[in-house]
Amino acid sequence: MSRRPAVHALVFQRAVLLLATCILLAPIAWLITTAYKPSVDIFSFPPTLAFLPTLANFRGALQHFDLRHLLESSLIISIGSAVLSLLLGVPAGYALARAKARWTIGLAYFFLAVRTVPPVATLIPFYLIMRDIGLLGTWWAVILLNTTLNTAFVVWMMFCYFRALPREMEEAALTDGCTLFGGFWRVALPLVRPGIIACALLCIMFAWNDFLYPAFLTRSETKPISVALITAFGTKDISWGTLGALAHFSTVPIVLLALFLNRYFVQALTRGIH
Amino acid sequence: MGKQIELSRESSGSLISTKPVMTFARYRRLFLVLLCAPAFVYVLAVAVWPLLQGVYFSLYEYNLMRPASRAFVGLQNYRDFWADEAARGAIITTSIFTFSAVTLELILGLGLALLLWRDSVFERALLALLLIPVTVTPVAVGLIFRALLAPDFGVLGYYFAEWGLSGPRGFLGNPATALWTLVAIDAWEWTPLVTLILLAGLKSLPTDILEAAEADGATLAQRFRLIILPMLLPTIFLAAVLRSMDAFKVFDIIFATTNGGPGDATNTMMLFAVKEGLQFFNIGRASTVANLMIVCIALFSVAFVILIRGADRKANER
Repeated sequence: MSRRPAVHALVFQRAVLLLATCILLAPIAWLITTAYKPSVDIFSFPPTLAFLPTLANFRGALQHFDLRHLLESSLIISIGSAVLSLLLGVPAGYALARAKARWTIGLAYFFLAVRTVPPVATLIPFYLIMRDIGLLGTWWAVILLNTTLNTAFVVWMMFCYFRALPREMEEAALTDGCTLFGGFWRVALPLVRPGIIACALLCIMFAWNDFLYPAFLTRSETKPISVALITAFGTKDISWGTLGALAHFSTVPIVLLALFLNRYFVQALTRGIH
Repeated sequence: MGKQIELSRESSGSLISTKPVMTFARYRRLFLVLLCAPAFVYVLAVAVWPLLQGVYFSLYEYNLMRPASRAFVGLQNYRDFWADEAARGAIITTSIFTFSAVTLELILGLGLALLLWRDSVFERALLALLLIPVTVTPVAVGLIFRALLAPDFGVLGYYFAEWGLSGPRGFLGNPATALWTLVAIDAWEWTPLVTLILLAGLKSLPTDILEAAEADGATLAQRFRLIILPMLLPTIFLAAVLRSMDAFKVFDIIFATTNGGPGDATNTMMLFAVKEGLQFFNIGRASTVANLMIVCIALFSVAFVILIRGADRKANER
């Protein structure tokens, strides 16, 4: 901005921002620190913030949960769904952006509309279909259903990215004897790499954080960590400290990924909109 | 553009072949259809087909516990839904939740976006940190706040109860405050996203108009009321519709905190449908609720699209 506010206004503004950020991050800081608190301090009366760090909660988490298996499930589901969604969605987004027929924009909106359907509406009939064909309780059930929402998202996002890309380069490549597929694969695709990274990041995040689909489509051997987080309560005697320790594996990886790829994350959240 | 290609093919085409000129355009169209087909077929098979089945199920009395007694009942499920007080309550709860959460997020988000509206390292770093709640597993969000607000050992809940703010069962345990607490939790999780969307809108405003207004001596409040707000209105509506669609479908944070309780105080349509369908296996009734949700979402999306169009036209008139 060209305006030059007085220094104290700027200081005030930034102080408010800093305060807001601290308030927003405090619950997460609590979650992380809880993992290192002995249960005496978590259940102290009245509650206290001071504690002697311990790793007991991690031992508890490892003892109560088959972490390796949970993480394996989460990884397979989120990466499987992301790969499938990108394979289906990126070419479709390109086709919709390049086709000149009038119904293409309608088709793009169709994909957008699929994204807005409440998950329970597809879950119940899909649950019955999976039961009938014997896939209920497998990773495939979750991956397949997750992929519909993610594909719809990827198609719309990539439609926006490819549409913003000038056609001239592909046209030039075509006149130079490049095939149509080569125009897509070798000319257009490398230019939208940020879009693909952004889509992959969000697909992984959606699938990793999803709870409703795996809660009803997996069984105990195939459940991901998001489901384990909550089913643990009530069935096992675990404390908030164990939750904090578990969260190190369920929440922290995605938070770090989004921070690390922040530029793409911001794009992913704003690009399809404007 | 395509025409250039057609022209270049046309000029060379007369030399090398007798095939019609349209061949390349048709070939290209076929290529694009082939690229799009897998995604389209997939979505038809795994999303649209189950949705149609859902419509079909909603016309049946169909309980998985008694699969033999499946019978066509027409619109009876819909009439039952309307007659059921708990079901009507779920619609009202969902509407209150959606409206309050989205309004709160828009107000807080607009404030934060205005504060962040400066392109320097400090603001960008804070924005990255502010976005963290969006990435936290929603179920974990619910559990975090359940722990924090627990009236016996929660870091916040203990003092809220002690000071008499929340009552002995805590904010989440009291029917009068549970829904508002969930609104606050939703705002914690999603205000950063609204901030980001509105900030992107602010950054795309034409700077010349803002500068002209400032040069003419308009105060900060005047600039906000007369220029920034009207021009940002399409983006505000856009953020509102995106968030409304998601808030209307809220499930995870409620499931992790109150699971619809106490009583039916926080029983939203999603919870109602999931419990009906996947705990009581009342497929017909659950499908009915799900279909009603689709209708609601479609209706308010269309309303918002009309609002956005109108706001866009007004913003461009300026």
